[in-house]
Amino acid sequence: MNIDVNAIFQIAGIGIIIAMIHTVLKQMGKEDMAHWVTLIGFVVVLFMVVRMLDTLLQEIKSIFLFQ
Amino acid sequence: MVKLLGMLIIVLAGTLAGFNKARQFERRPQQIRELILVMQRLETEISYGFTPLPEALNKMGSQIREPLKSFFISAANDMNSSKGLTAQESIQQALSAHWKRTSMKDAEREVLHQLSFTLGTSDRQDQIKHIALAAQQLKHEEVAAREELDKYGRLSKNLGLLVGILVVILIF
Repeated sequence: MNIDVNAIFQIAGIGIIIAMIHTVLKQMGKEDMAHWVTLIGFVVVLFMVVRMLDTLLQEIKSIFLFQ
Repeated sequence: MVKLLGMLIIVLAGTLAGFNKARQFERRPQQIRELILVMQRLETEISYGFTPLPEALNKMGSQIREPLKSFFISAANDMNSSKGLTAQESIQQALSAHWKRTSMKDAEREVLHQLSFTLGTSDRQDQIKHIALAAQQLKHEEVAAREELDKYGRLSKNLGLLVGILVVILIF
């Protein structure tokens, strides 16, 4: 449980920082770079979520399919 | 405790990298301005003083601040040395040796590179024309550099700090 809360905070932190970097880059006039940063941040968070979903699915499998 | 220290070090490194980048943006227009002043003085030396080129460059070098100072002095020393380098060769050698230490970009380097072909090889009128042309180009670059400073100077500091925090959160 403790680990899950940490992960949520981590994802929230990444979101905030990426949003700030996006704004800074947009002010500099490098909009394309800003969009790339957002996309990369999204992919990184997606990988973290996929890893957690994987453990969740393994749990469900082990409960219902009696592996 | 060690983790906290590591975080602090990473954030500090990011911030310092941002400040370093910002300082380069700040120093570029200053150095271009110095270079323009040197061009004007060189013009005076050539047209009124009839000073030989190595001496003139040495004089320029002793009057300005550090990264450009060593550039001009080493160019002058190369011309004076017994290696038999031409003015063009010695300026280009000094360019490749000292340019990395300045905050200026390839456009200014190209201006000096072009100037080195005519400096010391043609008559006075021609050289003065080429120096004036180089000064004109450098003025354009200075305006562009100031615009870049307004645009990127403060924001690169912010960006450095933010990237440091992002790395800390990512590896937390």
